Amino acid sequence: MSKAEFYHIFNNAMGEETTDLFLIERLKSGDKNAMFPLYDKYSGALFGVIVRMCRDRELAEDLLQESFIRIWEKIDTYEPDRGKFYTWAYRISRNTTLNHLRKSSPLIQQEDLSVYKDREDDMSNESSDQLYGVIKKLDAHHQKAINLVYFMGHTHQEAHQIMDVPLGTFKSYIRQALLKLRTIRSELYFILIAIEVLANG
Amino acid sequence: MDKKKIIEEGLLERYILGTLSIEEENLLLEVLSTDEALKEHMQELEADFEQIGKENAIEPPANIKARLRTSLGEERTDSRSPASGSASTLQSGRLMVAASLAALFALGSFWLYVQWQRSLDDFNNLQVQTNQLQERLSGLERQYASTRERYTTINDPEAIPLYLVGNQKSPESRVTAYVNHKSKTVIVNSLGLVPLERERAYQMWADVEGEMINMGLLPDGHEYIPLRYIEKAESLNITVEPAGGSEHPTVQNLITNVYL
Repeated sequence: MSKAEFYHIFNNAMGEETTDLFLIERLKSGDKNAMFPLYDKYSGALFGVIVRMCRDRELAEDLLQESFIRIWEKIDTYEPDRGKFYTWAYRISRNTTLNHLRKSSPLIQQEDLSVYKDREDDMSNESSDQLYGVIKKLDAHHQKAINLVYFMGHTHQEAHQIMDVPLGTFKSYIRQALLKLRTIRSELYFILIAIEVLANG
Repeated sequence: MDKKKIIEEGLLERYILGTLSIEEENLLLEVLSTDEALKEHMQELEADFEQIGKENAIEPPANIKARLRTSLGEERTDSRSPASGSASTLQSGRLMVAASLAALFALGSFWLYVQWQRSLDDFNNLQVQTNQLQERLSGLERQYASTRERYTTINDPEAIPLYLVGNQKSPESRVTAYVNHKSKTVIVNSLGLVPLERERAYQMWADVEGEMINMGLLPDGHEYIPLRYIEKAESLNITVEPAGGSEHPTVQNLITNVYL
């Protein structure tokens, strides 16, 4: 049995959270092989964020690799009580990507929004067409709000300027978007259950 | 910082996205540690964001994983990171344990070698002492056998003790002779003879029908001197002769005699 097979079986048996904690403990004890089941599980989601953030697939590949190296380097600082592993890994990937983008444009200061505006212009070509899942069912302004902060790495302060709405309004967009997402997901969940019940009598 | 403000200000979302300042984050974590409902709400938001991420996942090329595997191997060996530091600490910890065990083993081996050398020296010393003791024992055995023989000879009921007292030429001399006609032996104790110069010696003679027959030299200071037994001896005589003895006795140097 390969390690990947072992972790797959272990994951099913123990539940995702327990599996993550088990792998994280292995990582903390110096077992680098524990990184690869975590990579298999989260690299797609993180790569999706990095690609949308830097708009350069080749660069995104390097940044994904760098992000996981940093996860390995900083794993001792991860505290499960403070949040999920994915949240922590997302922050590392986001910061790795933004730091690279800032370094590659030395004339642009951290608070200078032009870099984001340029990327927003680039994004207009592909824009939210690249988003999938339940988020696509949100209203456009909600999609854009989530997209700006989650996939493009903007702060709320930056994003409300990009959307040209007051900060308070933007914060409401985010809250409403997340609430709507959960509502839609719940509806889909009940629809799936109904289909299941009807299908099986 | 109250709960309403946390929600309205979007602090939970910003915490998940990692855009809070350190101060804001610490304040939020403090509230979360005491407010279970708020913490539960944050966990739901985390799950929502994770779900969005997974729904918009893009599969990275397979070679990234291989590159990561290589990089992690290098990271681990060059000890640049805390994690690789802990890995290398673990590694160096193992090496320290191995080195300690090796050092203990070397010290143990050295100690055993020293002990072995000491034991070898002790064994050699014991061997020498044993040999010396064996020689002494052999000497004592020989001495015992000799003493026993003398005792047996002297105390033999057939042995006749004869006392010779010095004449005017050697008034202080005393000699005891044991004559055993059955075993045909003569034993003389010369401890009572006055010591002579190096160039002269005492000599004992047996008188047989007027002829003095040599029985042998009689060194002074000995308690057990076996001499030649002479058949039909009538008397025993001691003269002072030149060193090495004479073929015929010097009668004027007779110092003592006894009749049998």
